[in-house]
Amino acid sequence: MREGLVVCDADDVVRHVSPVAERLLPEVTAGQPLAVAAVPGLLSGDFTHHGRRLRSRRVALSSGRSCWYVEDVTETASRADALLAERARSAFLAVVGEKLGNPLHPDRAASAVVRLAVPTLGEVAVLVLAPRAGRARWWRASLADDETPVVDNGVVSVADLPPAVVHGLDGAEPHAVDWLVEQAVEAGWLPGLTSADACARVVPLPGRDVPAGVLLVARRAARWYEDADVDLVRAFAARAGAALTTALLYRDQAEVADTLQASLLPVEPAEATGVQWGTAYRPARGGLRIGGDFYGSHRLTDGGSLFFLGDVSGKGVEAAVFTGQLRQCLHALHRVETNPGRLLKLLNDALLETTQVYDRGRFATMVVGVVRPCRDGGVTLTLAGGGHLPPLVLRNSGEVEQVPLRGMLVGVVPDPRVGEQTVHLDAGETCLLYSDGVTEARGGRRGHEQFGTDRLVTAVTGCQRMPAPALAERIEQVTCDWLADGDHDDIAVLALRATGPAGRTPRHLHAVPDRATTDEEREAPA
Amino acid sequence: MTAPTTGVGLAAAWSRYLHCLAEADEYAAVEVATRLLDDGLPAERVLLDLVAPAQAEVGDRWARNEWSVAQEHAATHISERVVAAVAAYAGPRPTRGRVVVACMDGEWHALPPRLVAEVLRLRGWQVTFLGASVPAAHLVSYLHRHDAHAVALACALPMRLPHAHRMIEACRRSDVPVVVGGRGFGADGRWARRLGVAWAPDAPSAADLVADERTLRRTPPAELSHLADDEYASLVKRRGELVDSALADLRERAPATRDYTPAQLDSTVSDLGYIVDFLAAALYVDDDTLFTEFVDWLVDILANRGVPAPAVGLTLTHYAEALRDSPRAARLLDAGRKVVAAR
Repeated sequence: MREGLVVCDADDVVRHVSPVAERLLPEVTAGQPLAVAAVPGLLSGDFTHHGRRLRSRRVALSSGRSCWYVEDVTETASRADALLAERARSAFLAVVGEKLGNPLHPDRAASAVVRLAVPTLGEVAVLVLAPRAGRARWWRASLADDETPVVDNGVVSVADLPPAVVHGLDGAEPHAVDWLVEQAVEAGWLPGLTSADACARVVPLPGRDVPAGVLLVARRAARWYEDADVDLVRAFAARAGAALTTALLYRDQAEVADTLQASLLPVEPAEATGVQWGTAYRPARGGLRIGGDFYGSHRLTDGGSLFFLGDVSGKGVEAAVFTGQLRQCLHALHRVETNPGRLLKLLNDALLETTQVYDRGRFATMVVGVVRPCRDGGVTLTLAGGGHLPPLVLRNSGEVEQVPLRGMLVGVVPDPRVGEQTVHLDAGETCLLYSDGVTEARGGRRGHEQFGTDRLVTAVTGCQRMPAPALAERIEQVTCDWLADGDHDDIAVLALRATGPAGRTPRHLHAVPDRATTDEEREAPA
Repeated sequence: MTAPTTGVGLAAAWSRYLHCLAEADEYAAVEVATRLLDDGLPAERVLLDLVAPAQAEVGDRWARNEWSVAQEHAATHISERVVAAVAAYAGPRPTRGRVVVACMDGEWHALPPRLVAEVLRLRGWQVTFLGASVPAAHLVSYLHRHDAHAVALACALPMRLPHAHRMIEACRRSDVPVVVGGRGFGADGRWARRLGVAWAPDAPSAADLVADERTLRRTPPAELSHLADDEYASLVKRRGELVDSALADLRERAPATRDYTPAQLDSTVSDLGYIVDFLAAALYVDDDTLFTEFVDWLVDILANRGVPAPAVGLTLTHYAEALRDSPRAARLLDAGRKVVAAR
């Protein structure tokens, strides 16, 4: 029988006390009114008495008598408390795992670690990262008036690090913790806490081989760090260490990737007399910023400029690396050959040679041109085509012409047929090179229809007075709007506009196109 | 849009500046702005009292069909050059952390966020402007590479709100607080509140918010429990089929549409698609006003281009018929039809 019984008569005088009740409520004695015992909380039904958690209930008996049942629920309650605490700890660790689960920037990860530690693990949390070159960076979160902790950071020389932290950075978890608080206070890390009224713990954050850093948590001495608390701090430290290590690893790899990517990104065309350039470049979806399309320009010694736009076989990184090789080839070859047709043939030979070396078919389509300013303010373009989509020309009259430029793929057969054309642009006229990512973009009603050259021509009709950068962006936008599900091939656009002798587009041309050409235009809501 | 009234110099500059935009004269436009700076007007004022309202005027002229899309693009390009020139003139030194500013994926209205970027720069932040239509993957990998204090995301079109939400969540997973802005979140930011994200009505407020990290991090949770009914997801899945059947329906009921040129057909198809997209966005945030405001706007735009309002009504009726088993969509379409009928 775990329940004790206390029977009272109609006047609330105790008449019977069972042995269990005697043990739980020693104040209660038979023959005296129950009120004399003055058991605090008895009426509330749920109370702590002599260190035991008790639950009581009163049952009315006949003739005004009553019976109190008193049960000792200490174990059940502590099990429930432990379960709740365990649940809270799991929930906390789940949130921590979620927040730290991404490869963050190392600094972001560090500040996230300390912010998450407060207030669950302490009122102050300090993270000291493994030192580099004699200096250690630290992040600190301290509890403010509300639930949002304040985060700050700094740098400290290794010589000034508290010994316990140095110890922790070596991978040891200091056990004697009494002097830890003093060290932390001395380091200036515990604002508003003194060594007398605070307690602290230090745990190392596991790294790849040596710890990634140490975490110091501190709170008012009212709540000591018990075993369960320390286990929680350790579990947190394990997750934090993994997150920091991942972030560092990611940073190192991303640095390499960024450097390589940067070298493969198209370089904006160099300024050229009488020419305004406009470009757009959108690699196929994904975090990758590079692809198989390329464009660029080089200034020639005679005042003209060589320019090119093309597309290589293959996709992704491999294609991007190939475009880098092509661009370097062109960079070197333009010094010995400035005729676009002959330049393409030279490039073709060079590609064929590397293809034989690598035993792998790689080819490209491209347009190469040379632009030279004329005395009338216009420019002359000498164009050579290697199997690429023919350029468009936007005339001042509003007409959009397709340059009949043909030719064979570059890098497939020796001595290929290369298309050659000469085009004159008056001041204000624009020549447009683009990759098949524009015309082969799939979208429309069902998402399968190709954008096509006709739509491209429609999209640029009436745009003859647009600045080249605006025109290039417009093509990029119209293409992306067309794409139904967002997936697309690499998109590249190079627009070249004759600016006139003063380097300015002529102002006397009224910029408003005929109403007739715009009446039917309706596009994305502005 | 009214001309700004602060200062005589600015008022005179306003009409000159609009003229430059109309003439697509980049150099003269830059001159107008730099002269104001020479006269001692702060760079922030030039951006917010000259460039920003002028851009709004450009949008209005497009909506009234006074300007072609080509002119709008050219004017926007020139405003961007002016912004660059003003920024170069002021040449602020960064003294604070990094803030990343970007347009949502599929958003091309880059000028308003560009202005926010420059205002932040003028206030000492180190700003990275990622430009128009930034893919979420690109933004997230940027955040992993560069420690950012905050991200400012712009959304001009409410139909991008579901995208916007995914992008906001992606930034949050990288533990970077987000502030959003732009007409896409509603004139009073009500859809930003739905998505549980901090919202700023203009560039100065965005700058104030960014400076207040604790407020930025203290955001109320999203109120999107209505998404449990799956109406949004199933509408998105049925988009192609709905547009197809709406087009067939339109051809049957409005015979004039049968003689459309391919270009007219394309824009009709994209309009039919926009209606579905806005309906989907309205379902996402569960707000009638998102859809009714759009219908009102669409009827205006089409009326200015010679398409009568009842044509929109026909399509809304068709969609309502096709979606009669989706109570929330039916409610929205009904509200949309009332807007058309009231005109």
